[in-house]
Amino acid sequence: MGEYFRCFKWLYIILAAVLLLFGFLSAGHMLIASLSHHERTNTECVTAERVFDYGDVLTDREERKLRRLIARREKQTGCDIVLVTLQESLKDYARGIDPYVDYDEFVRIYAEQFYETNGFGYDKPNGDGVILVDNWYREDDGRIYTWLCTTGRAKTEYSDADVDHLLDNVYRYVERNPYRAYKTYVNDFYHDMMGLHIIRLNISGLLPWIAGAVAAAAFVLCNWRSKRGGSTVTAVTYVEGRKPEFRVREDRFLRKSVMRHKIQTSSGSGGSGGGHSGGGGGGSHGGGGHSR
Amino acid sequence: MVFKCRNCGGNVVYEPARGHMYCPHCESLDSEDAVRGGSLTQCAVCGAPVEAGQYTSSSRCGHCGSYLVFDERVEGGYEPRWILPFYLNKEEAVEAMNREFGRRLFTPADFMSTKSLEKMEGRYVPFWLYDYQARYDFAGEGTVVRSWTSGDTEYVETSYYEVIRQMDVDFDKIPADASYEMTDDIMDLMEPYDYGALIDYAPKYMSGFYGEIYNQEAQELEGRAQAKARDASEELMRESLQGYTGMRPLRRDLNVQTRAANYALMPVWQYLYRYRGKTYAFHVNGQTGKVIGTMPVSQGKVLAYGASVFVIVAAICRLALNFLEIL
Repeated sequence: MGEYFRCFKWLYIILAAVLLLFGFLSAGHMLIASLSHHERTNTECVTAERVFDYGDVLTDREERKLRRLIARREKQTGCDIVLVTLQESLKDYARGIDPYVDYDEFVRIYAEQFYETNGFGYDKPNGDGVILVDNWYREDDGRIYTWLCTTGRAKTEYSDADVDHLLDNVYRYVERNPYRAYKTYVNDFYHDMMGLHIIRLNISGLLPWIAGAVAAAAFVLCNWRSKRGGSTVTAVTYVEGRKPEFRVREDRFLRKSVMRHKIQTSSGSGGSGGGHSGGGGGGSHGGGGHSR
Repeated sequence: MVFKCRNCGGNVVYEPARGHMYCPHCESLDSEDAVRGGSLTQCAVCGAPVEAGQYTSSSRCGHCGSYLVFDERVEGGYEPRWILPFYLNKEEAVEAMNREFGRRLFTPADFMSTKSLEKMEGRYVPFWLYDYQARYDFAGEGTVVRSWTSGDTEYVETSYYEVIRQMDVDFDKIPADASYEMTDDIMDLMEPYDYGALIDYAPKYMSGFYGEIYNQEAQELEGRAQAKARDASEELMRESLQGYTGMRPLRRDLNVQTRAANYALMPVWQYLYRYRGKTYAFHVNGQTGKVIGTMPVSQGKVLAYGASVFVIVAAICRLALNFLEIL
């Protein structure tokens, strides 16, 4: 047992240090969150509901838990947080509003309309808040679309990269566990709004397990050495005087030949990289979408 | 034959740390009297039955614990020319093992325990030591290639040489173990011994240790020793041909002549460790302390240590990610 702890002493110390650091940071974060309490000033919102599970992907219990979580996070962030799940084509609905809109924009139109129609916004109608619309229906192009729409302060403080990051995290779980995915949406939004925004990570949740597996494999391999002992005998170990005796040792030059050939020079051409750029609209909503 | 203390009558043994005969009962030095008697089946001290193996030359009485040297196995044709007395005692051999294996993580828990290491035995292993004279006659064509570039032209110059070597090598005491019980590969790895400490055989050095007579005649093992002489000669010749880019041999005659073969006893500490039904043999050169052996690996330890690293590193990474997410 002593050998075990001697071996892992430093790993445990690092773990404890990271744990302590994380504990302090979490405590600080929670303290700031508990002190942060925004009063809702929007009196024109037509509903107190925030979870609209039209797609019926959540159980009643999961919906209740999400409502409680959203109520708490809204006070902390000062933003309305709305979730809508659907199980229907939005093609006719969206093209009824904008005939030339593409498939990936259907949910955007729905989200913006839904937000505005219900008068969401923590400070005022169509004010600070965020809405996630996840339509489980496969449109004609065979894809499922999701849109995160930000408004007011959420739009100002939430960049395109933030939206992408949040949707990536939602998509990580949504097929296997929709409740976890939507809970991630609420919590990530809260963390992003409350956080310091210094670092934005987009790393798979598998990374710690992969790192652990690689470290464990490397550790086992490094310590596997089971053999001991190699030859320590050299060619002269048993030679008297430690060196041979040469009666004849001659190296006579015979001839020389020289070959020459031209060096072929070749010219190559470089490639060029590609890229893409995007732009934002100037409307009252921001946000972005993903499909699966 | 047994070595008795003339002061107390106890069994005197050779003590490597002191380099003298030592009586563990009264702590006298060099107080031994060689007492002949006993046989391959009977202890010379207590008369109890002894089970000497086919090749055993010295052993320990299982009844009274006295170390016995069997006269008929160390005399006449079985008398070794030389013996290399143990230089390391048991504690030093254990220390050598400990230096090598003590810090390895995956050794079974009791591998280096005092109780297990108690079973370590000092053994004199029979060796034939061969003297050879090798004559190597070599002729070949060597090439030295040099290349350089000037402008857009590359030049390759090849110089040809006639290379002649006539080399004599005298090999002294190339060892080959003559014990069936000891694996040849392992005994080869035990080498080299420092022959400066080789002395004329005297049976007293065997008191305190197990020993064997040669299991095979010198002629039977000649091939192994001669192969070592040939390999060494080839290597010495190769070394003398260094500097050439290529070598085309035209003549190579290596003639190895046996000059002498002598029988000697070499000291080896042997530790046999049983783990999961398999015996693992470890050997420590009784003179130099060189350790040879393949350590068993405890699967339980591999699993426990590997899982610990996995969990700790994964937890650190997870926490670090959470930490960065908050930032």
